[in-house]
Amino acid sequence: MSDDFRARARAWLAANAPRRASGDDEAEADARGQAAVLAEQKAFQAKLFDAGFAGITWPKQYGGQGLTSAEQIIWSQESRDYDLPTGAFFIGISMPGNTLVELGTEEQKKRYLPKMLRGEEIWCQLFSEPGAGSDVASLQMSAVRDGDEWVLNGQKVWTSGAQYSDFGAIIARTDPTRPKHSGISMFIVDMHAPGVTVRPLKVATGHSPFNEVFFDNVRIPADALIGEENKGWDAAVVMLRHERIAIGTMGSSRSNPLAYDSLRDLAAGLGRTSDQGVRRELAELYARGRAVQSFALLLREETQAGRLPGARGSVAKLAGSDLGRFAGNVAADVLGDQLAGFDSEELQAVTTSIIAAPGNAIAGGTSEIQRNIIGERVLGLAKDPGVDRATPFNQLRVGTQRQQ
Amino acid sequence: MALILTDEEQALADSVRKFVADRSPLTSLRQLIASGEPYDPDVWKQMTAQLGLAGLGIPESYGGVGAGYSALSVALTELGAGLVASPLLASALAAEVLLRLDDEAARTKLLPRIAAGELIATLTLASEAGGHVTASGSGDNVTLSGSVSPVLNGAEADALLVPAEAGTSTVICLVDAAAAGLTRTRLTAVDHSRSLARIALAGTPARALAGDGPAALAAARDLANLALASESAGAMKACLDMTSSYARIRVAFGQPIGAFQAVKHRLADMEKSWELGNAALRDAARAGDAEPARFSVAASVARVLLASAYADAAVDTVQLHGGIGFTWEHDAHLYYKNGLSNKVLLGGPGEQLDQLADSLGI
Repeated sequence: MSDDFRARARAWLAANAPRRASGDDEAEADARGQAAVLAEQKAFQAKLFDAGFAGITWPKQYGGQGLTSAEQIIWSQESRDYDLPTGAFFIGISMPGNTLVELGTEEQKKRYLPKMLRGEEIWCQLFSEPGAGSDVASLQMSAVRDGDEWVLNGQKVWTSGAQYSDFGAIIARTDPTRPKHSGISMFIVDMHAPGVTVRPLKVATGHSPFNEVFFDNVRIPADALIGEENKGWDAAVVMLRHERIAIGTMGSSRSNPLAYDSLRDLAAGLGRTSDQGVRRELAELYARGRAVQSFALLLREETQAGRLPGARGSVAKLAGSDLGRFAGNVAADVLGDQLAGFDSEELQAVTTSIIAAPGNAIAGGTSEIQRNIIGERVLGLAKDPGVDRATPFNQLRVGTQRQQ
Repeated sequence: MALILTDEEQALADSVRKFVADRSPLTSLRQLIASGEPYDPDVWKQMTAQLGLAGLGIPESYGGVGAGYSALSVALTELGAGLVASPLLASALAAEVLLRLDDEAARTKLLPRIAAGELIATLTLASEAGGHVTASGSGDNVTLSGSVSPVLNGAEADALLVPAEAGTSTVICLVDAAAAGLTRTRLTAVDHSRSLARIALAGTPARALAGDGPAALAAARDLANLALASESAGAMKACLDMTSSYARIRVAFGQPIGAFQAVKHRLADMEKSWELGNAALRDAARAGDAEPARFSVAASVARVLLASAYADAAVDTVQLHGGIGFTWEHDAHLYYKNGLSNKVLLGGPGEQLDQLADSLGI
């Protein structure tokens, strides 16, 4: 059975997966235009779906294949060496998609999941706000009930793919009189609805992988609620868990300029591999990269055996961003002052990746938040005191008030 | 190729863990420190006669279990967690060399007794700085000169397998413990659970074993990497468990200390390093059994990651326990010293990375 699946996957990939010069969607969008890249990705995702390789573990009635994580592992193994042009769908399927599979109503699942899997509708995730980053439960976006509708007002930030998304999963405050975690709800929002404004957010690399999104009296239907009213934090925790696991186990693209193979070739080309320090750093980079891959595989195997990774997804996420930072240091040592000024595209790609590395330790939950999660939910350490957890904020100024 | 433990491997891990808890808890190591004995012969007898651990990597045709690298790794992980002092690693390396060489007489004579735990054998393997031995003569009439240190269980071994330079190649020679011109000096070992010796040979008679010496030696180095990584992974997990549990119960400033991010984040990093090291270790163990062409690199990866990760975790274990962690009575220093020793045996991190770079063809 699984051998059949492997053979089928391998044959299909060999025949259908395009060979890409780069796995970098942003660079491609810059070079060829966003619309052309999206059209190509949508066409490929539809082929992937029609061939039976999208939503491998999702139930059949929602467009999935109804298979097990064994087949998912096989697919990951077989597709690892291709940079599949599916980047636009990664967030939607792995985060809002998996959350809808878990918490969505029958109508929501039937309406949204098949189109999401076939790439006909693209989804984004709207969590962070200017005033609510690591402490995302302190969000201020409001959703007020008005008859059969909810009315959204506020601002979201760091939203990947919002510029081309059709729908978003959004969390908003539905009861400001409750403590911060228990007055939040999650909704499906139509990104084309009147009152939604998407603006690109330019980051340190000079690219705009994220957006800020403004909601001005945006009306959404009552049945757009995901899960229960005021239980949105629970839904958010489910989605964040899927996010960490997805990021932690997605592996690095073969064309990543900071991957071991790329830096070894770069070092060899520059005659730097005779330097003992460089050799040792490259060897360590190989070792660390290999361990991150093995850990991702171990988590998938455990899932298959019925042991869910849970908070250990945070270990994978933290390890991945650490690895990027280490690789950046190796690249700096390989290149020396050639990194400070250059006139080649290859070095431009390396530099951009080095500059991008700290972003990976922030996006999807900072490394500090991952360490809190690992400490509390994997190792069972006492929770952060969370002084604002149960009490109105205006009663919390104990530090100086006590003096009076 | 699966990285998670099979049911059989899990059962082996459980039985070794129970054995360690029942028969060789850390209090036994303290008794060894007091008596100066290298290991407890009763514990060794039970490890070999009851659990068959010395025969794990030895085929059934030579009296072993024939269980392969992964099983040995699983057993060593549990023994490492309990800092069990024993000549198991020395014996496993000697057996590996015998199996890789092509000397049937030596195999038939030694392997069944090694598997039964009746004969302690060792391989005089050390880092580049550890000295070297030269051979003159050939076949049954070889004489050896030189010295090597530190050698695992060198002072207690009944039989020594000595790699020696013979012209441009390396031969592995069998030296009897009673051979003339052999001096064995037990070293002061930084790790209380390890017995180490300097082996000096002065015109010592030996027998050169038939077979490809350099290949056998390379295989032994790979196994040593896997074995030291296994012991380190087990011991590191013990440090992580010990320190997390202390951080859950020790209260300061009105809270369990694990609530403070200075403590919590350090433990989270320890957990991360252990998970990564353990995954690399499982990858190496599986490669040993299923993908021999990848074993050398995979074992090297596991060793280099766990050598540093465990040594760091052991220092953090002392630090996060505070003053109590630095006392002789607390177990933290036993792991700290074991971590230091495991980090450098057969060559420190720099040498390990050089070897990995060589294997990767950098």
